[in-house]
Parts: sequence; C-alpha cells; structure tokens
Amino acid sequence: MSYSFSVNGQEVDIESPGLRPLLSVLRDDLGLLGAKLGCGEGRCGACTVLVDDAPVAACLYPVANADGSDVRTVEGLARHDSELTAVQDALLTHGGVQCGACIPGVVMTLTALLDQDARPEDSEVRSALAGNICRCTGYQKIVDAAMAATETNGDPR
Amino acid sequence: MTVVGTNVRRADGTDKVRGAAIYGMDYTEPGQLVAKVLRSHVPAANIVELDTSKAESMPGVRAVATAADAPGLSGMFFVLKDQSLFARDVIRYVGEPLAAVAADTPEQADAALAAIDVVLEPLEPVLDVEQSLAEGTRLIHPDWETYETLVPGPRDGNLAWEASLERGDADAAFDGADVIIEDEFRTQRQHQTSIEPHAAVARYEHGRYVVHTPTQFPFNVRGRIAELLGARISDVRVIVPTIGGGFGGKLDMMLEPFACILARKTGKPVRIVNTRREEQATCGPREGAVVRLRTAVSSDGTILAQEGRIISDNGANSSGETVACANVASLVLGGTYRIPNARYVSQVAYTNTPPTAAFRGVNGPYCVYAQEMHFDHIARELGMDRRDLRLRNLIRAGDEIVNGQRLDDAFLAQAMDRVERIRPWGPPKEANGTLRGIAVVPLTWITNPGPSGASVKLEEDGTATITCAAAEIGTGAVATGIRQIVADQLGLRFEDVQVSPADTDTGSYDHGAQGSRTTFGMGNAAQDAAVKVRDQLLDVAAGMLEASAADLELADGTVRVQGAPDKQVPLPAVVATAMFSQGPIVASGQFAAPPVPFDAGCMAGALFTSFTAATYHAHFAEVEVDPDTGKVTVSRYVVAQDVGTAINPHMIEGQIQGGVLQGVGYTLFENLRIGDNGDVLDAGLETYRLPTAVDAPHIDIEILENPCPYGPLGAKGAAEPSIVPVAAVIACAVADAIGTPINELPLTPFAVLRALRSKQNE
Repeated sequence: MSYSFSVNGQEVDIESPGLRPLLSVLRDDLGLLGAKLGCGEGRCGACTVLVDDAPVAACLYPVANADGSDVRTVEGLARHDSELTAVQDALLTHGGVQCGACIPGVVMTLTALLDQDARPEDSEVRSALAGNICRCTGYQKIVDAAMAATETNGDPR
Repeated sequence: MTVVGTNVRRADGTDKVRGAAIYGMDYTEPGQLVAKVLRSHVPAANIVELDTSKAESMPGVRAVATAADAPGLSGMFFVLKDQSLFARDVIRYVGEPLAAVAADTPEQADAALAAIDVVLEPLEPVLDVEQSLAEGTRLIHPDWETYETLVPGPRDGNLAWEASLERGDADAAFDGADVIIEDEFRTQRQHQTSIEPHAAVARYEHGRYVVHTPTQFPFNVRGRIAELLGARISDVRVIVPTIGGGFGGKLDMMLEPFACILARKTGKPVRIVNTRREEQATCGPREGAVVRLRTAVSSDGTILAQEGRIISDNGANSSGETVACANVASLVLGGTYRIPNARYVSQVAYTNTPPTAAFRGVNGPYCVYAQEMHFDHIARELGMDRRDLRLRNLIRAGDEIVNGQRLDDAFLAQAMDRVERIRPWGPPKEANGTLRGIAVVPLTWITNPGPSGASVKLEEDGTATITCAAAEIGTGAVATGIRQIVADQLGLRFEDVQVSPADTDTGSYDHGAQGSRTTFGMGNAAQDAAVKVRDQLLDVAAGMLEASAADLELADGTVRVQGAPDKQVPLPAVVATAMFSQGPIVASGQFAAPPVPFDAGCMAGALFTSFTAATYHAHFAEVEVDPDTGKVTVSRYVVAQDVGTAINPHMIEGQIQGGVLQGVGYTLFENLRIGDNGDVLDAGLETYRLPTAVDAPHIDIEILENPCPYGPLGAKGAAEPSIVPVAAVIACAVADAIGTPINELPLTPFAVLRALRSKQNE
C-alpha cells in the first residue's frame, strides 16, 4: 500500500504494509534515528512522536493510521543549526538529561503537553510523562525542566 | 577554582535533546549483515546433536557460528572461567546461546535459526540456591575443578565461590550476650532495563576485530571477547558510541563476540541488537539472595557480635559480577556499624537460570535491607528507639570496620544529623485511613579503586583535548566532571575542553564506568596529565614573559604573571612557541588508588577487601500504606550524601534522584521472576514494572563535602550509592507503618496485605 503524510513539514510517500509500525518507517526508511525502539510494546515511550499534535507510541502505531496526517519527530523541533526549543533548552539547564535515550520521547510528550496547556501543574506534567520511562534521572529534573519551560511560555494561566 | 563546583550543562547534551546522538542501537555500517542467536528453550540438557548444515545453505545466509568457533573459557573480570560463548555439550539455562547466524535480512536470519536441528537429552534443572547447595544435588558444572581462577577461592561443586570474613571471637561474644536475635531475608532479581538494549557492530579488518558497542567498560569487553574467541587482546578494538543506559548491565561483553566471529567468517560488518525480550531474559540482572543474620547484643543495645550467611544466585555461570563481588556483602554488613566480632560467609551458588550480573550497588541493597530490618528487630526486642540503636553502634571517625580498616574520615554521624535537621525524628502525622511509618538508615559505601590513564594535549587554538577510554554512561562524569577538573587546572572555560570518544586503540586503560569511579579515577588521571601540561605551558611562557615559572598562573586562556595581569601571553601563542622549541604540548597521566591498610588475614576468597574513598550516607523515608489495598506510597524522602568535593552539584543530585527511584522500584515492585521451567517470566515491560514519574517521591537532598585526600580536588564517587539503602529504609518504614516486618522483597500490595492479615490473625 502507499501512504502520504508529512514528516516535520515535508511530504513523504511511503510504500509499505499498512500494519508496519510508524517507527520502522521513520528510522529505517527516512533515517530519522531520534525516536528509539526501547521496548517495542508501547510501554517505555522512547519512540514517542506526534501525529496531528498527539503523542503516540510509534513502535506500535501502524503507518496506515498516519496517512494524511502531520507527523512530528524530535528532529523537527529545532533545525539542527538553529536554537533549541524551550523544552530542549530547559532539559539541559536543569540537568534533566543523563544517558538521554528516553529524551527524544520525553521532549515530544512535553512539547505536546505545553502546546495544549501553557501552564500545567507539577502533577499534570507527571501524569503526561507516565508513559515515558526514564531509567536514569528519577524524573525530578525532567519535571523541573518542564515547569521552567512553562515559565518561558509567557501567557499566564 | 572557577569551573569545578558549578552546574555546567553536559557537553553531549545538545545532540541528545535534538535526537541527533548516535547510540549503540543506532550505529550501522555500510553493507552490514544482520546477526541473530539461537538460544536454548530448556534450562538443563545434554546436547546430543546440533546440525547447522541445512541453515548454512539457506538463501541470504552468509555464516553460522557454533561452539567450535569460540574455543575459550572465560568469566567476568577473569575471576572464575566457567563460561563458554556457546553451550558445549551441556545446556545450563534457558536462553543460553547454541548458535548464531549472519544473513542479509532479519527474516532470512530467523528462518536459518529455525532450520538448525537440535537434539537434546533433558536433565533435571536446579533452579533454587538452597536446593543447589543441598547434599546430593546434581552438579551443574561436573568439571568445576578444572576451571581456572584469578585467585584461589573456596569452591565446591554447585558452590561456585565462597568469600568469608572472620574477626574477633564471635563464639565468646555470643556466649556473653544478653540477647541473641536471628532473622532470614529473601530478595528477588532486579533487571537494569536500560532503554537501549545491548547492540554491537563488528568488522574484521587487517586481522583485527573492530567492534562498536555501547559498553561501560571497553577494556573488560575487549579482554573478554579475546578470551572467548582465543584471540590476542590487542587484536580486538572496542569503540564506544553514545550509551543508552547501563547501570552495571553493560560492564560485560554480551553480543560482541557473536558479531566478531560472524564478521571474520563473512568478511562483512555484522550488526546484532537484542530485542527487549532477549534483553530481559538473557542479560544478567541483580542476583536474588538469601541473607541470614544472627546477632549478639547487650541489654544497652551494644552490638557484640554478628554472624551472617549470604547465599546469592550466580545463575548458570560466572559471566556476571556476582562471584567477583561476593565479599562486598561482608564489607557492607560490617562497614556502617561497630561489629567487634564477626563471622560472615558469602556463598555464590550455581543454578540452571540465566547468569546474574552487576546492577548498581552490587550486593549492597539486599545486605543493607537485611541488616536494617534486623536492627529494627533488635530494637523491638530491647524496647529501644530505632534511631538510638543505630547511633549507639555507628562507626565514628577513627573506628575500625569489620575488615580492620580504620575510617579516619567517617562522616556517618554528620549525615544522620543533617537528615535530622531536615526531618526531625518522631512519629509521622496521623492521617485518615492510611498507616504511616518512618525510618532512617546510615550507610558506608565504596568508590571503585580501579586504575585509569589519560593524556591531555593543547591544540593550536589554545583549547585542550583529553584522550582517554572512559565511557560516558550518562552520569556526566565524562560529559562534565573530568572536563571541569581539567578546565580548572589549565585556566580554560568548560567549553574549551574536549574529550575524545572512548576507543581502546587510542585511550589508555581505564577500569570502566562502575562503582562511581569515573570522576574519581579518570578525574585523577586527567588531572595528573593536566598538571604536567600546565608545567610545560608555564615553562614555555616563562621564557616568553621573561619571568620565573613560579610567578605565573593560567587563567582566562592566558598565561600571566601573578599580580601583573598586563604581562600575559595567550595560550595559542604559548602552544606555537612550544611547537618548535620543546615540541607539541602533551602529557599523560595515571592513577592507581593508594593502598588502604586493613587486616588481610581475616578474609578468604575476597576480591574486594576494603573501602577506597569511602562515602557516608543517611537516608530517611516516610511511607503511607493503604490498609485496604496494601499499596505503599513513599511520601517523604531525605538523602544526606558525602561526595568528598562536589564537582557538579546538578549532576550529583541527578544521580541521587535516579538511584533512589531505582531503589523504590526494587523495593516495591520490580521482580524478574523465574518460572518453573527456569525461564524469565517478566521478559517484557508489561509485567516487569518500572518506576514512572508518578511513582517518584519528592527527595530533599543535602550534599556533604568531606574531601578525600587522594580524590581529584577531594572528590569521591557519587553516582552509585544512592540506590543502596533505599530498600532498607522503605522496608523499615513500612514495617513501622503496619506494625510487622516483611522479610522478603518486593513489598507488593499482595505482600503487604498478607502481612497485615497474618498480623490480625495473631
């Protein structure tokens, strides 16, 4: 089958079985290695990408479902030679990155959250992150970073 | 100092948040083949026949490897060499490799594995450590006496290794005791579960193996590959891409030898990556253990003597660290409190289960859990306050620990005091419907003493490059710590110091990212090199400035005369001048930990014999237990941790927060269960439950600075220890909340409800 969708703003046409995971298309066909295959069962969240602004586990998400959608990956947040987004920047300032294998997924989850709600509470950030396993940090500094990024979001609640 | 002590952002961070960092699991080479491993589905069997001929002729199959291709026997850290890469004649665990295939596509590799004919003669599996050590049990390694060992160690059949420590006169102390308390504790396997599974890409060029693998310990992996393949150590080159988590699980070789053999056979690069299922089921977890303690106490709460027997599960062979670390059990049991008479036996038993291995805090978490629950038992018997009992017996500066080592810098009382200031000891507030409890636990822990070498050179632009083979496992030791140390030595900005990627061909030996040692060991080596580079710079600049080298300082990228800042030369000019006078500015540095005096005669079979750069800790936990569901919530957590000198406080806090949460998982839900067939039941994240952001308690952190005379700028290890006392302090707090101890981990809702129910029935 053939599917058409945009990835980070660029149109792509893919020949693929419809049930093939979107992650496989992104990594193996398009060379976008940011999203990781951590578990392959939708549990760890390292493969999180946005489909029409909603976070999905790309390791399970069938490419057929992406047809006609806008897919965003970590590579699409900030051009490689341009400045980091507020979320990316805050993660580094607040020490929220250790091995970093979960971070591409974490960044997408937080980006989607802050797109929806400029000023989430600490508990809302934690709930949003419940599908992103980080084995290194204990999450506190990731939450600190998210809360700091909300500050730069400007408009008060 | 200007850079040390600040929270610089990690040098590898930008690529990580952009998703641009290339991890081991992302690394590929042009023309690569795909490798897969045929693994045993039974826990114990004789191999009657293994026929790969059909598989070898299948489409796309380029090579098949079997036991004939890997003649060597080896073992983790070369301590007990009882492991072959592939099962030879005998299968000893579910998941043991039987053969490996390289093919053009994964589908072709899978088809080839399915076409390998295996005929087996099943044997009775031995799955439990106590069954394993019982009289008359079938020997898992009938040839155990023929295995080479690094040092002599008591061994006997299914007893893979025994480390023991005896000091003082325990029998006399027990005879004179007012009270004798005895307990038994049981703990489970915990899996490291890094987000990145094991992965390796190997090629064979100029008669050498070149392997890209995300390992914590490149030189160990190099040596282990060589030994298993029967190759020369220097004919293996290990290069480390970005590592996606390790926690001890990536200290040892895992998939690299398969890729190497297949690369040699095919002449093509070979890539192999574990599935999550393979990762959980075959990569060594923290060992399960049984800990028995018996303690003699006087009525005022003074510990007179302690006996301990620790039986830990080696699994089917010694490819993990369990044997090498057996004596850590005795040291950790007798390193925090004064135990004047002691007799500890740490036994490592073979079972027909996947081999166990290093996980952050090797041997520590379950020994400390047992010791602290046991102390609470002693306090109950004596009617004594639990904190008072601990303070009474705490190691103070100048006291000897159980191996006879004197801890002149002991800082446990100070750590306990800091915790007390944050959360004064006293019963938790009443709360509607929940049971509440508290506990506080002190701890002495080690910094791994292993050696390091590094070199530092000055570039033409006046920046510095450190060449070393230290692996950045994520802690920031390489991405921040050693750069900060070198930057300060040379008066450079943090961003003016680079570190070369870890590569065994270019970097000197380094003992790996383990036991909190990178900032300490490599920090020392890099500092040693930087001091020599500094001397060269000052010497050359002295001539340029017509001043004495003793009057010069390095600051802001210049060499300048102290007190006369206008008399200065920029570093690029010094480097250029040096180039054609003394030659390029470069120096190498080394580190070996100084010997620590202890009573060597009191231990047998011990590889870890003493505490190098000991660190001191206190953890406090307050928990809420729901009596209807049995759910435990950690509502308050406090850590006071001695780090010597804090090189990067943010990174240290991150290590504490991460280690505590791994400990919360170990205490409350992580359990890598072994089924009746010897297979790992929790081979996916569906049932192997990991802590999430919602499970993470708020942690109050106090970083204590108690400098180590031989640490770089006084620094000690900081990354590992935060996991060690967590099970102890939470389990003691749960026991306080529910009014009865639970002597087995994890403290699942079911376990808590069972304990509450049996208490009601008393």
